[in-house]
Order: sequence, then C-alpha cells, then structure tokens
Amino acid sequence: MTSTIPAYDPAVDAPAHHHPIYDYDSGPPVDRGKFAIWLFLATEVMFFTGLIGAYLVIRMGAPSWPDPGKLLAVDITAANTFLLIASSWMMVRALDAIQKGDKGGLTRWLGFTVIGGAVFVGVQAYEYTILLQEGYLPNRDLFWSTFYAMTGFHGIHVCAGVIWMFLIWLGAVRGKYDANNYVKVELAGLYWHFVDLVWVLLFTVVYLM
Amino acid sequence: MSESHGFNTNRVFLLLLGLTLAEVLWSFAPFPRWAVWGGLLCFAYAKGYFIFNFFMHMKFEGWIVKGLLVPTLPLMCIVVFANMPDTSRNALLVHELTQQMDPEHGKIVELDQTQRAIDSHDIKEAGGH
Repeated sequence: MTSTIPAYDPAVDAPAHHHPIYDYDSGPPVDRGKFAIWLFLATEVMFFTGLIGAYLVIRMGAPSWPDPGKLLAVDITAANTFLLIASSWMMVRALDAIQKGDKGGLTRWLGFTVIGGAVFVGVQAYEYTILLQEGYLPNRDLFWSTFYAMTGFHGIHVCAGVIWMFLIWLGAVRGKYDANNYVKVELAGLYWHFVDLVWVLLFTVVYLM
Repeated sequence: MSESHGFNTNRVFLLLLGLTLAEVLWSFAPFPRWAVWGGLLCFAYAKGYFIFNFFMHMKFEGWIVKGLLVPTLPLMCIVVFANMPDTSRNALLVHELTQQMDPEHGKIVELDQTQRAIDSHDIKEAGGH
C-alpha cells in the first residue's frame, strides 16, 4: 500500500492571512462596538463641554445678561424636553424587547422613538423660525451666538440620531435583529441616551438659568 | 436588560419627568439667584445621573468602559475653569467680555438686561475704559 503526498498548491494550502492566529481573543473583554461607541461618546463629551464651557465663561464674565425666560419659549421647550426624555425611555423599551426576542416590540418602540426624535427636531425648527422672524439672528449678540451654537449643534446630533435609528428600524422591520443579535440596537440607543443627557444639561443652562 | 439588572425602567422614566417638572417650577421660585441656580444644577445633575447610570447602563458596565470616561472628567474641568483667568476673570481686558461693536454705529455696546441697547435707541458707550 503506497501513499502519495499531494503537491503543494498555493491556492489551497497557502494561509489566507499573514496575521498570526491566536487561540484566545486579544481584544478587550467588552464588545468592540460598545468600546468604540463609548470612545466616541467620550469625544462628544469634550465637544459639548467646550460649547457649554465657553457659554459659562462668557456669561460669568458678563456685567449683564438677558433673562432667557423673557426671550425664549420655556414652556414649549419644557414640553419638548419631556418628549426627548420619553423618546429615550422608548429606546430602553425597544432594547428590552429585542433582548427578550420580541421583534414586534422592537419595531413598535423603535418607531415611537424615531417619531419622538423627529417631533423634537420639528419643534426646535419651529422655535428657530419664530426667533429668526423676530430678528434674533445668531450675530445679534453673544447671548444669541451661544444659544444658536449650543442648541444648533445639539439639533444636528438629534437629526443624526433620528436617521441612525430610522435605519435600525428598517432593519427591525425586515427581522434583522433577534435575542442573540441586537448590538447595533444597543449602540444606537447609547448614542440616543447621550443626546438626551446633553439636552437635559442644555435645557437647564440655556433656558432656565 | 434593564429588568434583568434589577431596576424598573418605568420608574426611572417617571422620576425623570417629575424632576424636569420640579426643575421648571424651581426656576420660577422667588429665591436668591444663587439658591435658584444651585437648585437647578442639582436637578440637572440628578437627571443626568439617572440617564447615565440606568438608561445608558453605566452602573452595570465593567472597569474598561468606566475607565474610558475617567480621563474626560479632569479635561472637562480644565476646559471650563482654566480659561476663566484669561477671559471672564481678567481685569486687564480692554472691554468687558460681552461688549461688542455694533455694526450699525461702529460703537462698543454692551448687553442690556432685556434687549440690546440699539433697540431702545439708548446706546451705552463703553469704549472708554
């Protein structure tokens, strides 16, 4: 009985990668997506700290400052804040649903979250329209410059979050996620809660103080 | 995830709504400004605490995720407080921080308590110091 050794065929026998293959995971003991999103959120913290910090420095050094309650619609914005917090809560419910394997619950709660975020942006756009019609342009004075800078950048983040969650919702409608595959939903949720968290601070600092 | 971590999502949500309502009411309270502002910051901190720890699950994360955010805390303080001696607390500034040139008149005006000075046709010149 003879055995023949097959000739070396690079297309078959060559290793696909030059990277060494370890028998252990060399990454951090946390999901890479979650690690990345928290790293991104850390940079976002610094971004908004720069904006809010500049506002505080300017305001603390100002001999006088307009009363925001007389210039801004605090009641409408308070209702809008309720809406954003509710939207954040709906996101938590959406993640809870898919972690339990409830695909219908994910689609439903995620849809409510997207609607909540879109309405928030709509109300902010309405507020901007009224203010601009009354002549309160960003270059009017430092109060309005800082107001538009902070709320405007936050609004852009909300828009990005609405688009992101809408895409996640489309995937949910197609049944893309289940109890073992929900990391993308969780990452979008973390971003959305962060946007909510920033607004809680902005509402206090800009509208109430 | 939230129920499995031992907290009730609905309770946190209602707590956040209650805190927001209380915060808005507190902003109209007839107290000294330092008391109103201090209270508002406490309300904002409490709301941020609940969102950060429960909605974002930071309370249940491991040391790696928590450690990611630790360096931002001193950096935040530096950004806010390190600039103050050069700007808002600098007595050597040519003009007060919020004074600016009015593009229509070319004069330095400052923010009024209610409206910009130009609206009341009472421009307060402040360029002499």
